[in-house]
Amino acid sequence: MIESIIINGLTSGGVYALLAIGFSLIFGVARIINLAHTAFYMLAAYLIFTFASFLGLNPLLSVILSVIAVTIIGVFSYKLVINPVREHETAILIVTIALAIIIQEVMLMAFGGHPRVVPSLVSGYTEILGAKVAYKQLLAFGIALIILLCTWALLLKTKLGIAVRSTAQDREVANLMGINVARTGMITMGMAVALAAIAGALVAPLRVLEPGMWMHPLVMVLAIVVLGGLGSIKGSFVGAFILGFAETLVVFLVPMGAFLKGAVALTIMLIVILIRPEGLFGVAFEEER
Amino acid sequence: MKRVMKGAIILLLACLVGVATSCGPAAAAKEIKIGVIGPMAYVQGEHHWYGALLAAEEINAQGGILVGDEWYQVTLVKVDSNEMVSVPDAASAMERAITVDKVDFLVGGFRTEAVFAMQDVAMDYAKIFLGCGASTPELCTRVADDYDRYKYWFRVTPMNSTYLGSVDFMLLGMVAEKIRAELGIEVPKVAILAEKAVWADPIVAGAKQLLPAIGMEVVGEWRPSPTATDVTAELSAIEAAGAHMIFTSFSGPVGVPYAAQWGELEIPAASVGINVEAQKEGFWDATGGKGNYEMTMNTYARVNITDETIPFIDRFIARVGEFPTYSAGTYEALYILKAAIERAGTLDSDAVVAELENTDRIGTAGRTVFTSDHDVTWGPGYVVGLGVQWQDGEMKCVWPPPGGEWEGVDYEGAVDYILPPWMVEAWGP
Amino acid sequence: MGIISGYIGRVYKQFTGEILVLPSRTVALLFCLTLFLLPLITADPYILRILILASIFAIFAASWDLLSGFTGQMNFGHALFFGVAAYTSALLNLHIGLPHWLTIPLGALAAVLAGLVIGVPCLRLRGPYLALATLAFPLILTGIIFAIPGITGGELGVSGIDRLSGSRVIEYYIVVTLMISLGFVMWKITDSKTGLLFHAIREDEVAARASGINTTRYKLLAFCLSGLFAGIAGGLYVHFMRIAGPSTLALMLSFQAIIWAIFGGIATIYGAIAGVFILVPLMEFLRVMPEIRMLLFAIIVMLVLLFMPEGLTTWVRDKIEKECPRCKLRNLATRKSCRVCRADLG
Repeated sequence: MIESIIINGLTSGGVYALLAIGFSLIFGVARIINLAHTAFYMLAAYLIFTFASFLGLNPLLSVILSVIAVTIIGVFSYKLVINPVREHETAILIVTIALAIIIQEVMLMAFGGHPRVVPSLVSGYTEILGAKVAYKQLLAFGIALIILLCTWALLLKTKLGIAVRSTAQDREVANLMGINVARTGMITMGMAVALAAIAGALVAPLRVLEPGMWMHPLVMVLAIVVLGGLGSIKGSFVGAFILGFAETLVVFLVPMGAFLKGAVALTIMLIVILIRPEGLFGVAFEEER
Repeated sequence: MKRVMKGAIILLLACLVGVATSCGPAAAAKEIKIGVIGPMAYVQGEHHWYGALLAAEEINAQGGILVGDEWYQVTLVKVDSNEMVSVPDAASAMERAITVDKVDFLVGGFRTEAVFAMQDVAMDYAKIFLGCGASTPELCTRVADDYDRYKYWFRVTPMNSTYLGSVDFMLLGMVAEKIRAELGIEVPKVAILAEKAVWADPIVAGAKQLLPAIGMEVVGEWRPSPTATDVTAELSAIEAAGAHMIFTSFSGPVGVPYAAQWGELEIPAASVGINVEAQKEGFWDATGGKGNYEMTMNTYARVNITDETIPFIDRFIARVGEFPTYSAGTYEALYILKAAIERAGTLDSDAVVAELENTDRIGTAGRTVFTSDHDVTWGPGYVVGLGVQWQDGEMKCVWPPPGGEWEGVDYEGAVDYILPPWMVEAWGP
Repeated sequence: MGIISGYIGRVYKQFTGEILVLPSRTVALLFCLTLFLLPLITADPYILRILILASIFAIFAASWDLLSGFTGQMNFGHALFFGVAAYTSALLNLHIGLPHWLTIPLGALAAVLAGLVIGVPCLRLRGPYLALATLAFPLILTGIIFAIPGITGGELGVSGIDRLSGSRVIEYYIVVTLMISLGFVMWKITDSKTGLLFHAIREDEVAARASGINTTRYKLLAFCLSGLFAGIAGGLYVHFMRIAGPSTLALMLSFQAIIWAIFGGIATIYGAIAGVFILVPLMEFLRVMPEIRMLLFAIIVMLVLLFMPEGLTTWVRDKIEKECPRCKLRNLATRKSCRVCRADLG
């Protein structure tokens, strides 16, 4: 049973990590709480479904096409609707939630409320330590690790990474140092949305495609990034596994309370931030003026 | 940029006004307005509408409804309750249908919390509301508790969850027999996997009490949320518990990921019970074919429950291109209503209620007779429900079993239940 | 006689001098009058229902504004107050049989307690952390509600609750009167010294603390007051809809409060009310095209915010009124000099 708990905890943590990294990135850099993040994840999943099932394209090609398409849509929506209101913290919330609802409604009109399935790149399962793991889950886990490493390398080793991090630290000074803050923000948004789209390709096949599918992941992602510390990518990664394990433990140890797994995960998040108000790896905010 | 946006807003507003003014009432002499209320963006609501539409077209083609000595045409009003998202929306939609659209009768409703609210509104106006979606017994116990107020409510489909439980145990018994016969396991172990919902509670409690008495062992009870999107942990735990059967009670969207993950991971346990998602035609595609061998209770399958069933299914598919789910019971509701109105000879609610209580109709899902609290009568010769199994992309009727082993009920077209092959492989001798 | 006529004269002068001089106040007055006189023109139960629901949600949205708009304590889980009060009122009414004029205040009291329960631990949290912590509370409570279906009815909710009144028109007057008076009270609170301190906490908490203000106490006060008003809304909702279900705690309801308030204009109280009275009837109006109803709603909200990021009422008010640079009183935009201090408005 312990083996099953470990394996299940790791796989569900990997899935959450994949979803949370992009969200964390755009918050860390642009201080934008993008409530439409998981809506982009849903959009990518629906596009893959359209390309693969309606147009009959090869699954891998569909994934690539939809990641590109969603990134473009994401950057455009950043430019058109998020950037104009970015000085108004509250307006951003509403604009992004409105964006999410728009995506949801367009999906509902185009595909109806019927559940669908995203064609997966791989199928079947393997046994690890006696617990069954679908290849899809392994893939999601592996890609989450790779993406984490890539993001890390990008942020620490490249010029763009320095620009992104300095913008995150202090927009105005970064601007004075000759960094094109507006462009950096847009690139980050592009990266974040692309990550959401990749999550759509890897996570959505494990789930069901329906127009309300962005709501639950949004809550979990919010809990994860808060738990890990807003803006800290490492924190999001750790947070994802903590909540993944917490949910698995609930299912195994209190089977009659399996429906409480979300509530338990949220409670853990609450306890952590009540003890450490800046999350596990977050930087304590200076008193902003 | 700004100017374009401003133009867009003005255009949008202009469109709104245009649409609103063009939606005047379509006048027609001698009509009965029936509101079809449901979540129209979802399968349940769509089938509410399709079922009613088919019935209304047929009735009108035959001349309509004879009230006294005058023929009335049926006019349907499509009412989107938006009940999946918002309960106040559903109640407002109901009131709008009654006071603005001036409907005479209502059929539909799906999500219990919303149906309670809609029921109250309909009762406030003494409008007859034929429920075609929610299975909660409490909706009908209200009739018993306060007859004068709630007598305008009837449930046409599905049967209430107490009876759902009884059929569940027969399905379990049949599969357990199969496991004993084919795999030589004398006391099959059962894992209860039921969504956390009030309707499932008595079924779970009953299972824990009754199953040991009929030679099965309960190894655990898992209660995920009806909207859970991932049950792999539950499935792993069930497999670790060594279960031979998974007894499901799902009405929510969790039924799809459950079946998909059950098939993907080839969990070696037969899946038996209720999975509303598996009753829908789209289930096979929604699970990407992984839902093969999933079994669920259902209302319709291509078997002759009565002589009406198969012709109805054929007409339904010809009209809307989909296999009917249980909420298409609005078809029945309209015919039941027609008969009651014609017997009463008036549209007066109280008179029609009195005649609805005398309903005895051989319909598409069985013989409908209302109980004293306006619920569906269950039992051999009335409505019993079906057990269906997905077999290679087709939904086949497997219960009542072929050969009339249960109460002599034998439907033409029923086939034998098949254990999932990976299960036979895992437990086989 | 002379006293009475003098008094009337003073009221009249106040009326012309304080209300009619400013278009925003005139609009507010007209709005209240319209609401009160409407049942004389139409007693259509459907229209009354929409306005009753709008009034209930207006109290709810304004209470969010009181907490989050004024104090800056961004609350993403405002439905908690609504739901706690809804369930409390429902259970008290159903099991103990208390009348609604008792259950609604008691429900509101429960919501105040809920405000304390989440206010105290959340005092240390700031900005987005607070927002997301508050988001968790109603979701956790929903879990608990499903865990004890014997009391809460699980997903069915608690139904069979007494009506506010047998007549829709009386229900309408009860709710509308409460909405207007509570809205006025909330506006007065924000206009008082306490309101000033709320502002100070939002703008710069450290500076406020440095000025000797017990910010902790005022933040808690804001949580409790907000809970109180949201709780009254929840209680009214239950006695009107006659069911308290898990949807009263739904994430979407919390978001909805934020949408209404920010759409109308944050940190104004009347903005929140205006937001509800525009968006709720709009949603009903959009029923003529059910397929694209939510889509149009989202697009309209988004477009309005793009042009008026401070919200609708704030934008309109800035167009038709301007603030006197010297005495900070508001004046009609067309005036050349301030109506009180005669300063040049240029």
